[in-house]
Amino acid sequence: MPSRLGEGLLGLPAMPRLFAAGGALAVFQPDRRELTGLAGRYGVLACHAGAEVSLVHQPADGVSTADMDPRALAPVESAGGPTVIRILLGSQLRRLREAAGITPDEAGYEIRASRSKISRVEHGRVSFKERDVADLLTLYGVTDEQQRRHMLSLAQQANSRGWWARYDDVMPDWFATYVGLEQATTLIRTYELQFVPGLFQTEDYARAVTVLGHRSAPADEIARRVLLRLKRQEILTVSDPPRVWAVIDESALRRPLGGNEVMRAQLRRLIELADLPHVTLQVMPFNRGGHSAAGGSFSILRFGEPDLPDIVYIEQLTGALYLDKADEVDNYREVMNRLSAEADTPVDSARELRKIIGAL
Amino acid sequence: MASEGAPAVGASVPTSGDAPAFDTSVAHVARVYNYWLGGKDNFAADRAAAEQAMAAYPDIALSARANRAFLRRVVTYLVSQAGIRQFLDIGTGIPSANNTHEVAQAIAPESRIVYVDNDPVVLAHARALLTSTPAGATDYIDADLRRTERILAGAAETLDFAQPVAIMLMAILQHLSDEDDPVGVVASLLAAVPAGSYLALSHPAKDIEAEKMKAMAERLNQMMAEKVTFRGQAEVAEFFTGLELVEPGMIRVQHWRPDTDEEANSPAALWGGVARKP
Repeated sequence: MPSRLGEGLLGLPAMPRLFAAGGALAVFQPDRRELTGLAGRYGVLACHAGAEVSLVHQPADGVSTADMDPRALAPVESAGGPTVIRILLGSQLRRLREAAGITPDEAGYEIRASRSKISRVEHGRVSFKERDVADLLTLYGVTDEQQRRHMLSLAQQANSRGWWARYDDVMPDWFATYVGLEQATTLIRTYELQFVPGLFQTEDYARAVTVLGHRSAPADEIARRVLLRLKRQEILTVSDPPRVWAVIDESALRRPLGGNEVMRAQLRRLIELADLPHVTLQVMPFNRGGHSAAGGSFSILRFGEPDLPDIVYIEQLTGALYLDKADEVDNYREVMNRLSAEADTPVDSARELRKIIGAL
Repeated sequence: MASEGAPAVGASVPTSGDAPAFDTSVAHVARVYNYWLGGKDNFAADRAAAEQAMAAYPDIALSARANRAFLRRVVTYLVSQAGIRQFLDIGTGIPSANNTHEVAQAIAPESRIVYVDNDPVVLAHARALLTSTPAGATDYIDADLRRTERILAGAAETLDFAQPVAIMLMAILQHLSDEDDPVGVVASLLAAVPAGSYLALSHPAKDIEAEKMKAMAERLNQMMAEKVTFRGQAEVAEFFTGLELVEPGMIRVQHWRPDTDEEANSPAALWGGVARKP
């Protein structure tokens, strides 16, 4: 029997709030007065305040509307895929530990692990054993049953696998983390010096870039890497896509990877993408001197959860940096703002792209 | 340019001698406001100032939201009921939900909007994100509110000053001290637009939640580059001298034609109104 989501029942929180029910997660949007669930392994759930709870999309593993009985809804702190949940749960554990005045060493001792394991857990870099989370909560003096249940349910969520896990044969852990985060963003800002950003690449261009990086790889591995890249691009066409705001250096647009024909098609794709309302593309021309990214390419990922900080992603040859400390993120955000202010406007950038196509 | 109907979009690149200085070590109003609205485009100094203000006046975050809701209702009214198609929005802030051009162009896609602010972080966002429908136009001017001649000259590239223009001054005039002659600044903007134009403004109040607002102003003035002067009902009413106030007149912003009880009941210590130039 479908349930009703009454305003009284939910108490209409002023901020978006997340709820868990039967293993599914849903977010209540006060401005839209509706409860929407997550895309992903649980399917998309949608219901409105005062309206019947409905299941819009039947998920593969069958969450039924009964699971969305609002009386079973318990507020949780985040949703957005296992990677983001892991980071959020980690930061909550850190807060609880610090509030209890317990050192990382003491916490590590409790779960038969090292201090550095606690640090990795609190940064969301490794997955959790539910038993460890339970032991830590006890150590931190968290006795409230509801709070414990909620944290443990988060730990369960964090251990689920995203679609990208099936590509782990062609993807190192450090990149799987990126893909997991990328899938959960509301805003991606990226600065690219060398290549067209992965989310914007055509299949042919992606193949040319992949071959450059993996010259000796067999053809089927190249194909899988390209497929993973194309699969990532699906976030651009979902119903509530993140905003992608890219600043691309002119050199990335002039370098004809895969040959002139492939590059022309790639540039035409960029013009099409830039027309999407949630895509912003700015070209940084050669002649705009001394621009601000002294380092190199980087991205800033933003999540809808108020508690989650922006994360800076910097890819290196054999690994990646993920920065989430406020002062570090502030620095990169400032550099990104300078780059955006110095680069061509979106309108001038589209004109520039047409010029580059003409010159190829 | 406006008369040629050219879709003037985007913004001019700041010239080198006039490039805005990125200084995020001091709190700036646009970023403090962004923090109150739950945004993440702010820096350590902004967050510190915003938190200090919240400690003095805990409802400031709701107040900021109520001011955004007021902006949305005012633009909706001006486009759908007053027939306005041109906006000069001074004190844009970091783009948020329901920016002026989005609200206006959703009703009348041909609407033309010029945004003005003086924060480089706003500039970075505005020139990239505040893009127009093909039928209309948006532009961004990096200028201080006190430099009305510069603002009007820049705006004339996109707006036709022979046609009515709505001048929007949402929670910005408090950054002019009495010595800056804010009434004179508003009057000089209004002098440039024809009869049938509108003035829409909101202003933090010193006579609502008076003690908390006083404490908040003191804290902000210690921490921010731009000082604030909150004003009382009679002082804010002076900005509308010689104009015809639209119903319900100058009033607390949450009570200006609220769409929902929730909006009407929100705490907000700002005076606001919309008036027509006869």
